[in-house]
Amino acid sequence: MANIGIDLGTTNSLVAVVMGQTPRVLLDDEGRSLTPSVVRYSGAKNPDGSDAPPMIGWEALENAVEHASTTLTSVKRFMGRSLDEARKVAEELHYTLADGEGQDVVRIQAGDKVVTPVEVSAWILRLLYMRANECLMAEPTGVVITVPAYFDDAQRQATRDAGKLAGMNVLRLLNEPTAAALAYGLQENSQGTYVVFDLGGGTFDISVLELSEGVFQVLSTAGDTRLGGDDFDREVAKLILAKAGIENATGKVLRAAMEAGEQAKRDLTTGEIAEISVELGSASVQMQLTRGEFNELIRPIAERTLMSCKQALADAEMEPGDMDGVVLVGGSTRVPLVREIVEQFFGREPLSNLDPDKVVALGAALQADILTGSSELSDDLLLMDVVPLSLGVETMGGVVERLIWRSSPIPVTASETFTTQVDGQNAVDLHVLQGERELAKDNRSLARFKLKGIPDMPAGLPRVKVTFTVDADGILSVSATEQYTKTHAEIEVQHSYGLGDDEIEAMLEAAIDHAESDVDQRLLIEARVEAQQVLAVVDKSLSRDADLLAGNEAQVISQVSVALRQVCEGDDRKRIQELTTKLDEVTAPFAQRRIERDLKLALEGQDALEVLDVLDRSVKAAEDAAN
Amino acid sequence: MLAVTQCWQCREPVQGPVCAGCGAIQPPPAHPELFTILGLSPSYTIDRKAVDKAWRGASRKVHPDRFAGASAVQRRMALQWTAHLNRARKVIRDDTQRAWYLATGSERPGERDKNQPDPAFLEQVFELNMLRAEDPAAAIERARGLQSTEQERLSALFQSQAQGGTLDGAPAILGRLNYLRTVIDGGHE
Repeated sequence: MANIGIDLGTTNSLVAVVMGQTPRVLLDDEGRSLTPSVVRYSGAKNPDGSDAPPMIGWEALENAVEHASTTLTSVKRFMGRSLDEARKVAEELHYTLADGEGQDVVRIQAGDKVVTPVEVSAWILRLLYMRANECLMAEPTGVVITVPAYFDDAQRQATRDAGKLAGMNVLRLLNEPTAAALAYGLQENSQGTYVVFDLGGGTFDISVLELSEGVFQVLSTAGDTRLGGDDFDREVAKLILAKAGIENATGKVLRAAMEAGEQAKRDLTTGEIAEISVELGSASVQMQLTRGEFNELIRPIAERTLMSCKQALADAEMEPGDMDGVVLVGGSTRVPLVREIVEQFFGREPLSNLDPDKVVALGAALQADILTGSSELSDDLLLMDVVPLSLGVETMGGVVERLIWRSSPIPVTASETFTTQVDGQNAVDLHVLQGERELAKDNRSLARFKLKGIPDMPAGLPRVKVTFTVDADGILSVSATEQYTKTHAEIEVQHSYGLGDDEIEAMLEAAIDHAESDVDQRLLIEARVEAQQVLAVVDKSLSRDADLLAGNEAQVISQVSVALRQVCEGDDRKRIQELTTKLDEVTAPFAQRRIERDLKLALEGQDALEVLDVLDRSVKAAEDAAN
Repeated sequence: MLAVTQCWQCREPVQGPVCAGCGAIQPPPAHPELFTILGLSPSYTIDRKAVDKAWRGASRKVHPDRFAGASAVQRRMALQWTAHLNRARKVIRDDTQRAWYLATGSERPGERDKNQPDPAFLEQVFELNMLRAEDPAAAIERARGLQSTEQERLSALFQSQAQGGTLDGAPAILGRLNYLRTVIDGGHE
């Protein structure tokens, strides 16, 4: 039984698992740890005429240039995006989006096939999952997938859905910086405050974490989703193009300049001088670039990371010198100037004994191992993440009222009571937002829905209590209760890539449309339903485990059951509840014996699902009793 | 004190969120006492480090990660417990929210708590706002002075409560503190 950790990256992905006590990245047949996050839809067919699976990873990357239109890269940038946002990303990546049939779902055109970002990610996850399966010679039990700390609710949901689509048991989404700190924190085996500086190709991310008494708590996160190593390449490319006298370069020329820029950046990581030689259509450029020149070129960009560093420290109420360790993540932290700037700002040399490309996957594997419950660390270590962006609702005048603040530890709940403005108003509009801006229009819109079925009452009288819950994965759900009628609705906030707003509304409507029904009638129905559930459980238990009955138990249980069935025909709610409780009482010792036996069977691996089922039902009964 | 109840799973007596016998997490109360669930005694004077320590200790027991392999119902209960703990920490660490919570049972002022302060105090605030327009630093300094006086009153009130006094005066003081904070924060703009 093993859980695995997956770093689902924009450019590359990795899978790791804890073996013995050490996390290890699993290699492919060729001994490579990185798998390109690339999927190619070749259009090949199975013998039965259905679509063959696409090519994934290195195989897909090999002929990417010839098959540009069917090869999908950087799909992570589409995850959880709205159609408008996706259009912008598609333009940058030269993708074609498929025309939606009037629906707000992002679909990518790959040759003559149309796919969603979630599907593409699922293929990448599947490949890594299969690799783990081969290496472990067993199917992994559960999976921890890492996501950038700045990922909002929609992006997290899309990632979790990709895991589900790939047929995995997704135990937890883990923030990438948290994973990285975990990999180092455990290795150093020390208490203290860590800062994780993650500079990837296109994004920058900074987190402050504290490890104290076994609890790894994220104190704050900040970042810039438009800052990364690609910007360094672009600066060099600009210089090259200027040298060639080319303005407004596009297409192949621009790509060639960018590639030359990237190569120069790599050369200057270890070397002092880079030789640049590049064909740019009709022109060609030969030049030298020294480390010093390169540093001056990229310094303004590299120093922009410090703005986010200051923000994160301020949120955590800390000073740069308070850090006990500085963790570097992402290939772009190999750039010497970046290391220099980080070292200067925090006043200490960054930790560098783990590979910055692998550290996130290693941390994910550690967390996956902790979640088995059988790891040495399971009892001692806990990861506490925070909400990356504040959550709120739009109020009068388009202003945001925040209900959950940025950097609150999760899980977290918050409630707000809404009412009506007009006599007899039957619905309240809710607009859920994520972000730090004052005005609703400047924040990310997560969902809009209507609470319908509010009973006819004068304005201001109805009390609709809306509760926001963010779970340990950072995913939001919203529930609403009308306080007088106690009607209740619960939704997990769904996004444009999945459910449409109409569907969310329909779900809410379905749950609230009985708001006008008589409260007593409702309670009576609930009492009957509960009684019938208990009766059903008792009947099933009697037929299955009659051998566990002791003394005159059978007789007593049967008497109470018959009486309860009789009162269920009538309208005496109190009597139904009394007899339900009574039946529960008289069957308690019997139920205890059944649970003991079932658990014993489960431990022998015979009927585990059945036992869980039994436990779920008994806890439900306990919850109902508590209510 | 935590009440002793019966574990829903093994029916043994259980005290606290997790059954010592079978390890099952128990249904969380709908409206828990925030100090008690962290294992603390209600008090206006707090040690933030001790609060965090108590919060970490309690979280380690009930966090959903502890129940990753358990049933959906148990994981749901773990989420609710942890959300309670996180709210408790937030309220207790915040001086104003803690005071409101201790005085009224809710960390936010309710409808009936929104009384207007006495006219003399409002006049002082009005003067402070006038002064702020001319000399923000002086206005803030004076507001801070008034703030610390009110804070002392509040602390004294909570101390007298320990000797059997009431907290009836707390909402009025908290209301005045709110006005002063607006003056001070407004001065930063």
